[in-house]
Amino acid sequence: MGIVGLVLVIGPVQAHIIPAEKIHPVAEVYRRVNFILNLNPIVWDQVQVDVDTLAENWKAIDPKSAETFHKNVNEIISAATAELNEEKGIEPLPRSMAAKQVFQNMTRAVSDRCLFHIEMASENIDDREVALKEVREAEGIWNAFYATIEASDPEGHKRLGKTWIKMANALGSTGLLGIGGLPPDRDTFQKEAGILIDYIEANFGKDFHPIKRGKLAPWPSKSPTFNSHAKLPAKLPPGHNINKQIPRPRQILGIAARGVDEGETPLIALGDMAFDSAYIYGEPMRSLQMSCNTCHNKSITNPNFIIPGLSSYPGGMDVSSNFFAPHANNGVFDPLDIPDLRGIRFTAPYGRNGRFGSLREFVRNVIVNEFNGDEPDPMLLDGMIAYMNEFEFLSNPYLKKDGRLNENASKSAKRGEEIFHTEFTQMGNMSCATCHIPSANFIDHKRHDIGTVNGHEAYSMDRTMDTPTLLSSKYSPPYFHDGSQPTLGAVVSWFDKNFKLGLKDDEIEDLTSYVETVGDGIDAYEDTVYYLDAEMEEFNFFLSAYEFLEEKNKPGLMGVTFITIAQEIRNHKWELQDPSVMPVMDKMAEIMDAAYAASQAGDQSEVRHKVAEYRAMYNKNSDVLK
Amino acid sequence: MLINNTKRLWTRGLIFFVVCILTSWQSHAEPLKVAFVSYANPQQVAKDSDFLAQYLEMKLGMPVKGFVTLDYGSSIEAMRGDQADIAFVDPLAFMMAHEQIGAVPLLLEVYSSGKPSYRSCIWVRKDAGYTELAGLKGKIIAFADQVDMSGHLLPRDLFRREGFLSGNWVEKEFFGEVYFAGGDEQAIRAMLNGFVDAAGVSEYASLLLRPKERDAVKVLAYTMPSPSHLIMARKGVPQQTKDKLKKTLLALDPSIPGDKSILDKLYGVRGFAEAQLSDFEGVAKVAAGFGFVKNPELFAGSEATE
Repeated sequence: MGIVGLVLVIGPVQAHIIPAEKIHPVAEVYRRVNFILNLNPIVWDQVQVDVDTLAENWKAIDPKSAETFHKNVNEIISAATAELNEEKGIEPLPRSMAAKQVFQNMTRAVSDRCLFHIEMASENIDDREVALKEVREAEGIWNAFYATIEASDPEGHKRLGKTWIKMANALGSTGLLGIGGLPPDRDTFQKEAGILIDYIEANFGKDFHPIKRGKLAPWPSKSPTFNSHAKLPAKLPPGHNINKQIPRPRQILGIAARGVDEGETPLIALGDMAFDSAYIYGEPMRSLQMSCNTCHNKSITNPNFIIPGLSSYPGGMDVSSNFFAPHANNGVFDPLDIPDLRGIRFTAPYGRNGRFGSLREFVRNVIVNEFNGDEPDPMLLDGMIAYMNEFEFLSNPYLKKDGRLNENASKSAKRGEEIFHTEFTQMGNMSCATCHIPSANFIDHKRHDIGTVNGHEAYSMDRTMDTPTLLSSKYSPPYFHDGSQPTLGAVVSWFDKNFKLGLKDDEIEDLTSYVETVGDGIDAYEDTVYYLDAEMEEFNFFLSAYEFLEEKNKPGLMGVTFITIAQEIRNHKWELQDPSVMPVMDKMAEIMDAAYAASQAGDQSEVRHKVAEYRAMYNKNSDVLK
Repeated sequence: MLINNTKRLWTRGLIFFVVCILTSWQSHAEPLKVAFVSYANPQQVAKDSDFLAQYLEMKLGMPVKGFVTLDYGSSIEAMRGDQADIAFVDPLAFMMAHEQIGAVPLLLEVYSSGKPSYRSCIWVRKDAGYTELAGLKGKIIAFADQVDMSGHLLPRDLFRREGFLSGNWVEKEFFGEVYFAGGDEQAIRAMLNGFVDAAGVSEYASLLLRPKERDAVKVLAYTMPSPSHLIMARKGVPQQTKDKLKKTLLALDPSIPGDKSILDKLYGVRGFAEAQLSDFEGVAKVAAGFGFVKNPELFAGSEATE
């Protein structure tokens, strides 16, 4: 392909942004459906979209098979999503049974597509360009099964990987301007294609039936080299995005804002490290390298975050499914909007439904139950709370100390403020300000049923949600616990409509202007796209907790600190503007690996030595690590 | 005073007349035909080429028509048939085009290294334990494509220079097997996944891997540098047009957002540098060894003239 293509494909490396994996649309759909079918509950709406896509894609090639597939799968989904009606004898198809049936149909369809393109390549072997395109199509679709084969049949994986190369190789070359052409090697191509066809037909072909072993996956159980004890590595489905937002939100830590020497706040440093660490959690968070910071980037909502099957929109996720912590699954698809954590010490109770009175309880639950971690060391929790207590709201130049607007606010916002304080009989003689109390950070620390939650039955009393603060809210869309309102204007309109407030258009505009003014703040985002120097400084801050942890004899927390720093350096090193400095970052990561190993072995002298070595290296190179 | 005013009116009228004539001439002039090559996403390149054609039209003050080809051969054939005046090509395609149809080099692309050149590498897995090229004896190597300077000719030439191959096309003399995987990514992924032992592709090929995967591979050896991909002109394109085009593209500054968006559409390069025929002297000899270039002396210390 050459260099131009490479540069085009990759684009500029920026701020730990991992580009989405390139994947054939058929494999993409299959892998996503495979992921969702393993969830409890299954989001059938999302499965349906992918099933439709696959059928549509297939229609152009084999309309009859596509139609049969579509009809069969639609029937299964309809049966799975049917409402229970004992009178009519309607019982929904059990989830696991429906999942197996859909998976069986999908697997057979995908293998059929793959075989079709191998056949087409074979038929067009004399036209190298066409044949190579067909091989690429087939290989792209093969990717649907790739991860499972790699994990459970490594020998077959290598054997077949080589087969694909041999097939491409056997197509010869068209040369350039009549020079360098090579004819196709028909015999080799057919031989290698035959190996692939046999494997696909035996394992995923017309007779494919999902086998009973843990997760639903395309296990190549008919391969003689299949390892029936293999486990699949944790992987997120195609379409996920856990990259953080660019430009980066400006985080205001109280200690930094007050000019405190950060080197003298070890508990906060420990908390900062834990907030960025995947190692305070269990699997699959560790393997996926996800941390608090993934969803709450620099404590602020990550609006990009989405995982198909767990999210229904970017910026939200179901934290009580079986994916991250099977033991704590609640069996309901209830994705929640990722909250902004600015000013969190002022916003109790915690959780969108205010189910935790204290931040400490809430954080422990996140670690242990939402994300499958071990019981955290009390000191780790202390650190996290100390750190989170430093999250400040954005400064707001439009507010007085009592939360009323000052002279900087617009006339429209001031008119909106009056509406905000108006008591409406339709709201039980309450005003917006009754719950969002301006003098109390725009919250009342209570829970209310405003009509955004569907209860489990008609008169159930399970509909209250925590009052959110309005401070800094302009920068954390979408809104409501389920992210159903994209803008603050939509929120205002929702209240007007649902409480029949009868606001005129200009009043809605004024009230929106007011809420946006309250939610505003100075410099919400950083003014650079290069953050590596700040990240490296932060990792050095993490390490400032070392002496404290040594004094308190906390080798476990030291280990978490070292391994987190090592991993963070490896994650961020691709952001270097000058790639020639990469060996320095590699070395620093290796030093942290060694410190981790020493801490695990109880060799405190070696740990001290490695910490000193890291600090010296950072001090020497901090100017170029950017 | 009256005479002055009359004179001024006449002068203005004359200028207006000349501008009208020039505008009319320009709108009927043959457009400058620019061939953009597409690697993976023809639709996107087509979209970008329309934008770039408009940009160049504005900068050059002449009609510009962009179109997309699927490979270098098509771009060169279009140039041979006067259907393309300007084309984006790799060094091998350029040398063959120069030799066969007298195409001239205009600008070399500048990559993230800041240089208008790059190298190819022999890539291996870090955990495979290879420390020198000799360790690859009897092993399997994958290249990108037979007709690929960085993805085949340069890395294979390296083995010849190091004395592991007596000639350029000797297959089983050193390697156990040699495959052409069909592209840089296929070749380096094949190595990463252990399907082959080594991959001979561009130094930038590792960027096609995901960040974690990049840490699993290493460069065992670098080839000699090659001039980067380039913009070439058909023989006969007026010098003034070539100069204007060069001036326009050389002025692009990646630190200016507007310019950067242009560069991003121009295959994401950092900028451009003047190209000379002599830049290709070294790689012409390599290409000649494989029979792609017949007269490597055409590039020996010479300058691009017509």
